[in-house]
Amino acid sequence: MADRLTSRANPDVGKTVINGLALLLVLSYAVPYVYLVSTSLKPAADVQQIPPSFFPDRVTLENFETAIGTAGLPQAFLNSAIVAVLTTVLSLLIAVPAAYVATSYRRPLTVSFLLFALVTRMVPPVSLGVPLFQLLKSLGLLDTTTGLVLAHTSNAVPLALLLMAAFFENVPKDLEEAARIDGCSRFQAFLHIILPVMRGGMAITALFSFIASWNEFLFALLLTSQNSKTAPIVIAEFNSVYGLAWGPMTAAAVLYSLPVILVTLVLQKQIIGGLTFGAVKG
Amino acid sequence: MKTFYTSAAVVALAAGAAQAQEITVLVEGGGLMLQQEMAEQFTEETGIEVNFVEVPYQGVFDRLSAEIASGTSNFDVATIDVVWNAAFADHVEDLSDLFTEEVRSDLPQALIDDANVDGRMIGMPAWANAEVVFYRKDLFESAENQEAFAEEYGYDLAPPQTWQQWRDMAEFFTTEDMMGTSVNGLNPEEWMAHVLQAGSPGVVLDEDGTVILDNEAHRAALEFYRAPLCEDGSAPENALEIGWGEEQNLFYQGQTAMMKFWAHAYRLTPEDSQVSGRVGVAPMIAGEAGIAGIPGPWYNVVPSTSENKEAAKQFVAYAIANNGLGIEAPLGLAAANSAYESYMDTEGYEHFEPLLTTLSAPATQGRPIHPDYQELLDQAVIPAFQGALECDDNVGELLEEAAEIARDILDQ
Repeated sequence: MADRLTSRANPDVGKTVINGLALLLVLSYAVPYVYLVSTSLKPAADVQQIPPSFFPDRVTLENFETAIGTAGLPQAFLNSAIVAVLTTVLSLLIAVPAAYVATSYRRPLTVSFLLFALVTRMVPPVSLGVPLFQLLKSLGLLDTTTGLVLAHTSNAVPLALLLMAAFFENVPKDLEEAARIDGCSRFQAFLHIILPVMRGGMAITALFSFIASWNEFLFALLLTSQNSKTAPIVIAEFNSVYGLAWGPMTAAAVLYSLPVILVTLVLQKQIIGGLTFGAVKG
Repeated sequence: MKTFYTSAAVVALAAGAAQAQEITVLVEGGGLMLQQEMAEQFTEETGIEVNFVEVPYQGVFDRLSAEIASGTSNFDVATIDVVWNAAFADHVEDLSDLFTEEVRSDLPQALIDDANVDGRMIGMPAWANAEVVFYRKDLFESAENQEAFAEEYGYDLAPPQTWQQWRDMAEFFTTEDMMGTSVNGLNPEEWMAHVLQAGSPGVVLDEDGTVILDNEAHRAALEFYRAPLCEDGSAPENALEIGWGEEQNLFYQGQTAMMKFWAHAYRLTPEDSQVSGRVGVAPMIAGEAGIAGIPGPWYNVVPSTSENKEAAKQFVAYAIANNGLGIEAPLGLAAANSAYESYMDTEGYEHFEPLLTTLSAPATQGRPIHPDYQELLDQAVIPAFQGALECDDNVGELLEEAAEIARDILDQ
């Protein structure tokens, strides 16, 4: 009771507490990443220092030099980028119109369609590994960018579909109807009226699809060998049976995390718009 | 000997009428490093191209399992850890023909035994490793230390050879700034080596597959293993947080005077570590049954799903015939005695003699090649092992409980 009275008397106290809690939450997410960056800057002898030190006593870029010089890593980064971008584009091309139809024209079939998308999210990816392997092998797509993009898309589309369906649910029906009255066809209304409103939602969906593909490990391990191997596999190769090269591994991981951070910063406005989309209805 | 192998391989090559011009080999980083030069030479001599597909350590198992489950394989050869031999035994070719008398006589017996699964030779050793004793040469050679040790313990300070010497020296080197040694609480292989040193016919299981986890040798070895931690105070207290990486780092940072560790680490001592240039190596210590270690070999296997089996077998034969070609790679390991012997007098390879002594010791043998081994390890062995390292419980009782669990798993 006393606390409540105090915070009522001084609204800044409540705000400070909330900010403090938010800061703690952010720290709990950020600390492992900061430690990753810090480890990547430590000399080899200090990387596994016992007891461990959070910050490096001496800063060095030797781990980054080793990581960049690791055979296959630059190519793997490129492969990851190509696969993630293509997966994102393909997922959006499939999921956006599909989600629009499924939410705009409610029928038992469209409801089942969305439910099925939800169910596929519950299937452990490991159980799909062997069937996908057989499928791609029979199509001659093993160890190809196309094969991996298809595999990642099969994984990303249900997520994109569910996200986009949630965003479309918040679009007022009147908007499309008004466009139709003004002479637009359904497709024109979708393309020129609905989609521009959905930019924030699509940005978030694109980001999630991109991250899902960018970080994906299992399918990349099973379905690629030399030509289309992605960076998560090469980074994991720093962990060999006779030792874990922590320094170069963390340096490679830091480099690998940068594009996602950059994409998030670039799309920041749209993402925040998407997150708050439909939160306030007039 | 090498000449004979090469000739045999050449004959085998001639016999292979319809040859594939390309084979694909599944490897982990170590496998690539140790076999690349040999593969280049193989291609030069035979015209058969070798494509290595490198995956992370666990990826070897996952990838090969997926390929086998799919019924087809992109891989003609896979280089696998011995711990997977039982899992893949039914899905790989029998390579008995490649185990000629000459090949057998040039391999430590333990490596031949580990390749034998139900009478089939399922893989050819590619390289092997074993834990040996690492010690600080500067500390052992110090006149002051030698005098003080002889006075306190009544015998000369030299690399430890017995269990008692290990304990004495660990205790002697323990000061405020340094521990004598460390106890690895995450991996039981070191304890298993002591089990064999104590005269057990096997670790966890005997050769008939009967659970022997509660025999006297297992008990005595575990008592000895935990003694520096629980009785002598000569090892860091946080044993359950110490794995191989931590053991290695404690030693490199000058925080321990001795460790039992995989021999390959000798050549990988970081130049900027506190002990660089001051590391000595000796064979694994001995118990009542003499020196013994747990080998860590890798095997070249030919998956039954390979479409180029003949070329794959030629590669495997060539690899063992030219086993020394990978020694100059950073890991610097081989499987054949002759490969190790050829480098024993070379500077920088001082660890080969202790390694070969340990690998070839009569009491040395591998972990059980049993399909349920991993379950036995997870459910029975590790809980008892780690329970013992808490220093409170009776070792005999812990092992009896573990043995009961193991018997339940195996329906014995």
